[in-house]
Amino acid sequence: MFSERELERYKRQVMLFGEEGQERLKKAHIFVAGAGGLGSPISIYLAVAGVGTITIVDMDVVDQTNLNRQILHFDRDVGRKKTASAEEKLRELNPDITINAIDVKIEESNAAKLVGNADGIVDAMDNYPTRYLLNDVAITKEIPLFHGGIRGFYGQATTIIPGITPCLKCIFPRAPPKEVFPVVGVTPGIIGTIQANEVIKYLLGSGELLTNRLFIWDGMETHAEELCVERNPSCKACSGMTTTKQARKKK
Amino acid sequence: MTVKIRFFARFRELLGTDIMTEVAPGTMFTPLITSIARNNPAGYAAVFDEKGAFHEFVILMKNGKRVELSDAAKTPVIDGDEIAVFPPVAGG
Repeated sequence: MFSERELERYKRQVMLFGEEGQERLKKAHIFVAGAGGLGSPISIYLAVAGVGTITIVDMDVVDQTNLNRQILHFDRDVGRKKTASAEEKLRELNPDITINAIDVKIEESNAAKLVGNADGIVDAMDNYPTRYLLNDVAITKEIPLFHGGIRGFYGQATTIIPGITPCLKCIFPRAPPKEVFPVVGVTPGIIGTIQANEVIKYLLGSGELLTNRLFIWDGMETHAEELCVERNPSCKACSGMTTTKQARKKK
Repeated sequence: MTVKIRFFARFRELLGTDIMTEVAPGTMFTPLITSIARNNPAGYAAVFDEKGAFHEFVILMKNGKRVELSDAAKTPVIDGDEIAVFPPVAGG
């Protein structure tokens, strides 16, 4: 059931998917791994869309160099924990949802527990080792992983449904070296928004997901394209899953 | 024979993209990419290691199908092939 305030807040999207769709969003729990460049637009759009529970995890402190892209954090937040800053902004954006902001490093020992009973994981990380951990958790729990990555004016995204689509390791079996990557804020804005759009469609159970396709964005050319991607039968992460297995169905 | 080579992300910044090139029959994947990448030392270093092998994280595709790095040296290209070479984009 929605309050009058909620019905007013969501009025324009209830026109799209009805109160039933809005109820699906409200009942959902999404895990956002990272409160940085990608995590900012992802969590903002999931919050204002009314995703009922958002868990957002980050271990960093807001740095001045973050502010060109990490739009959850303001100049006044420099030196604060990103989770504290994120929680404050997301609560203000939508007081009718639950925000769990957890200040911790995602590691092999805690990843599955952190994700808990979430309906999906959004990859807003800046490194592949942690992405692979999230990929493993998504496979184990049979929940989707909404992948995104950015560098400079370039970005990529895909939606991974374990057992059905290629997993992250099928597509990118080996991590690139770590680097301090250049980036302009619009790039995570575009890719993060695509990831949030995927989450919303997944929860609603409508539309065509970005599955079996790697979306590639070239901001310098203002050109988007996609490459077909396939499961790797010898993938070290997901080859044990049969295609008959289904990811946990949407609520 | 003409093939098209498409680089993505950082490789594109360094090497350009949609490169149409004439190749002799029997040309293999690796020497073809090597010859194109040699036009830019930074681009070459981004794609290949000091031994001339693809960096292990590089993704290769031919006409939308994955080509394993271990097969690249023995995979021929033919007229009309479209080759994609890209790195995983890591930032977030």
